Amino acid sequence: MNVRQALRNGFIIGTISIFIILLGLTVLVGGIVRGWFDLSSNALGAWVLLGLLALLGGVNARRNTHAASWKEAAVAGLAAGVAQGAMVGIFVGIVATLIDSGTEVRQWLVQLTPEAIDLLRFGAAPVAAALIVFAIFTLAGLLGALPSYASAHYQWGAAFRSWFWGMRDQGLDLPPVAAFREYKYAPYIVYGLGLVLLLIAPQLLGRYWNYTLGTVGIYVILGLGLNIVVGLAGLLDLGYVAFFAIGAYTVAMLTAPAPHNIGMSFWLVLPIGVVLASITGVLLGIPVLRMRGDYLAIVTLGFGEIIRILSKSDVLTSFTGGPRGIRAVAGPSLFGMDLSSSQHFMYFIILGIILVAYLTYRLQNSRVGRAWMAMREDEDVAEAMGIYTLKYKLLAFAIGAAFAGFGGVLFASRNKFTGPEDFTLLVSINVLCLVIIGGMGSIPGVVIGALVLKGLPEMLRELDDYRILVFGALLVMMMILRPEGLLPSKRRRMELHEEEPTEVVAAGGAA
Amino acid sequence: MAMLEVRNVHTYYGNIHALKGISINVDEGEIVTLIGANGAGKSTTLNAICGLVKPRSGEIVLENEAIHRLPAHEVVSKGVAQSPEGRRIFGRLTVQENLEMGAFRRADAGAIQEDMRRVFDLFPRLEERRKQVGGTLSGGEQQMLAIGRAMMARPRLLLLDEPSMGLAPLLVEDIFRVVRQLNEQGTTILLVEQNALMAFSVAHRGYVLETGRVVLEGTVDELRENPEVQKAYLGG
Ligand SMILES: Nc1ncnc2c1ncn2[C@@H]1O[C@H](COP(=O)(O)OP(=O)(O)O)[C@@H](O)[C@H]1O
Ligand SMILES: [Mg+2]
Repeated sequence: MNVRQALRNGFIIGTISIFIILLGLTVLVGGIVRGWFDLSSNALGAWVLLGLLALLGGVNARRNTHAASWKEAAVAGLAAGVAQGAMVGIFVGIVATLIDSGTEVRQWLVQLTPEAIDLLRFGAAPVAAALIVFAIFTLAGLLGALPSYASAHYQWGAAFRSWFWGMRDQGLDLPPVAAFREYKYAPYIVYGLGLVLLLIAPQLLGRYWNYTLGTVGIYVILGLGLNIVVGLAGLLDLGYVAFFAIGAYTVAMLTAPAPHNIGMSFWLVLPIGVVLASITGVLLGIPVLRMRGDYLAIVTLGFGEIIRILSKSDVLTSFTGGPRGIRAVAGPSLFGMDLSSSQHFMYFIILGIILVAYLTYRLQNSRVGRAWMAMREDEDVAEAMGIYTLKYKLLAFAIGAAFAGFGGVLFASRNKFTGPEDFTLLVSINVLCLVIIGGMGSIPGVVIGALVLKGLPEMLRELDDYRILVFGALLVMMMILRPEGLLPSKRRRMELHEEEPTEVVAAGGAA
Repeated sequence: MAMLEVRNVHTYYGNIHALKGISINVDEGEIVTLIGANGAGKSTTLNAICGLVKPRSGEIVLENEAIHRLPAHEVVSKGVAQSPEGRRIFGRLTVQENLEMGAFRRADAGAIQEDMRRVFDLFPRLEERRKQVGGTLSGGEQQMLAIGRAMMARPRLLLLDEPSMGLAPLLVEDIFRVVRQLNEQGTTILLVEQNALMAFSVAHRGYVLETGRVVLEGTVDELRENPEVQKAYLGG
């Protein structure tokens, strides 16, 4: 039993945890989780983040020490837990003491706000707080190690997978199902039924669900756009919300009575918003796309924030409506009929999704899609194959931005309002998460991702306090069972589940 | 008249002076080899020719046309293709798609089909695996794919960077047989190798590179006779 190895794992997690606290990530994640679930404090999100890390400490310790019995697993988990608990506990204790004595810790560490520590203290005095933190991390280490051992020992993952796919195959092999699958028109029937269902659904859903699912649908459109940028072209864009905002502000400024009173029609503004967003994408892309990976992420993130801050700026209030936003944004009408209820919008959004998904599908399987894929894998080689990578990156940016602009027009017009708070960094992060959760590069994945990330929290509202627990458990389970995403593209599945190749010794070389 | 002339090329990676005035000629129909230790600048030379690395000074002329200012994606259209060091095939694309990427700049669908046929005739293993994703191929198959992908550009000058790296001796023989065959079918080849013995068995002429400079050049026979070459590269 290699206790030192387990301790080392604990120290690693302890260090990471302290870094995360120092960087203010606990506060950030706490805020996100609070936003998702309308909580009153950031503490839950912060602890979920740290708790997952602490569990991971136990899991890693168990795995790296190759613990081969319950007892060994427990020792490994406990050792890691004590190590990480001691580190983080002492850290919290020291900082809490400093804060209580009135020291301004932010003069050294700007992100270390009193809130970052308060979130972890449960209102206790420094020493008690340190002990509480210690206890939680230790317990989590142990809790991580035991199921990890159980899962390895009883091969839960494998058992679940074979059960799941076995059930599916059995279902598909049932005589009537098999016969239907053979039938030539089967796909048309399935798609036809799906379409009919989609057309009826808005009639059956009430106002609340049309509104809620409409928001999910707008996130699907955003997700499909970001999927092109991140999933297909491999460009990490963290300021994607900017293009959403441009679409929304275009429709707001051109149709609302204030601040401009231009009063254009929705149908005219829709293409303008899409084109403006797309042009902005290209204008941002030209300087930025020459940068590689991480720089691109940072610059786009900054751009997203700049757009939001501009829209909020007092100086520009007469132009953008300022912090209060723009009210009475016009909705569409046709032949004098007003079509701006949530229900009507549900139809527009469904049509929009079908359109955008179809475009994505066509692009993905085109020469352009192939170029994106090659470029994402190896930019230099792609360039040497004759792919003008900058052009294809710009194209991805422009198309992604156009989709976001489209989503923005629908969003502002349906809400009859737009304001800077609709376009925080959180939107970009949410959209990125849903693309990843669904499975990068996969169209159905984006739909599922949006349903899980934006829809599920709403649907679980019934469960009240427990919904956070359920939601968290679902996410964790998913990441363990399907690291490639819920509905990954065929390619990623091939890649992750293809059997190992057999090494060739004598090739059938030159004839 | 040389097909390719590299004239006194200097390149830098930041402050690292990687090529310190390289001059190389390749005549039409030849196989020319570049040998040299790790870090001598062989790959950098190939990358300069195909436009991935920009020379700070010097010129590169392909059939009387300066190509050193062209971006890499345009150099392909001039008839230069590379099979890079370490293969670098597209792991998520199928064998067939990898080959199609090699022909990305071409629009002559019929001729592309012919060329794919030609690749499959040279490497039957690739045809058996045409729907398999590149990442799941064995090392030897990946090397075949990398060469096949470069051939799909229908280059007049083919740059091969260490095609024998990490392959079993039998496979190396196969790869070199194909190299000779391609050359006999009319492709001019610039071959970078660590395995000087194999390189000399197919090439006509060679250059020896050391820390960014050409220190020796000559026909393969001359190089083989050279005591320095024997000592450093032929283990004699
Ligand atoms: N991308 C790079 N960045 C910085 N230095 C590089 C890079 N590629 C190569 N070099 C340096 O340039 C020199 C020549 O390298 P290279 O052309 O790869 O040599 P060879 O192919 O002969 O082994 C070496 O000193 C190497 O370290
Ligand atoms: Mg090299």
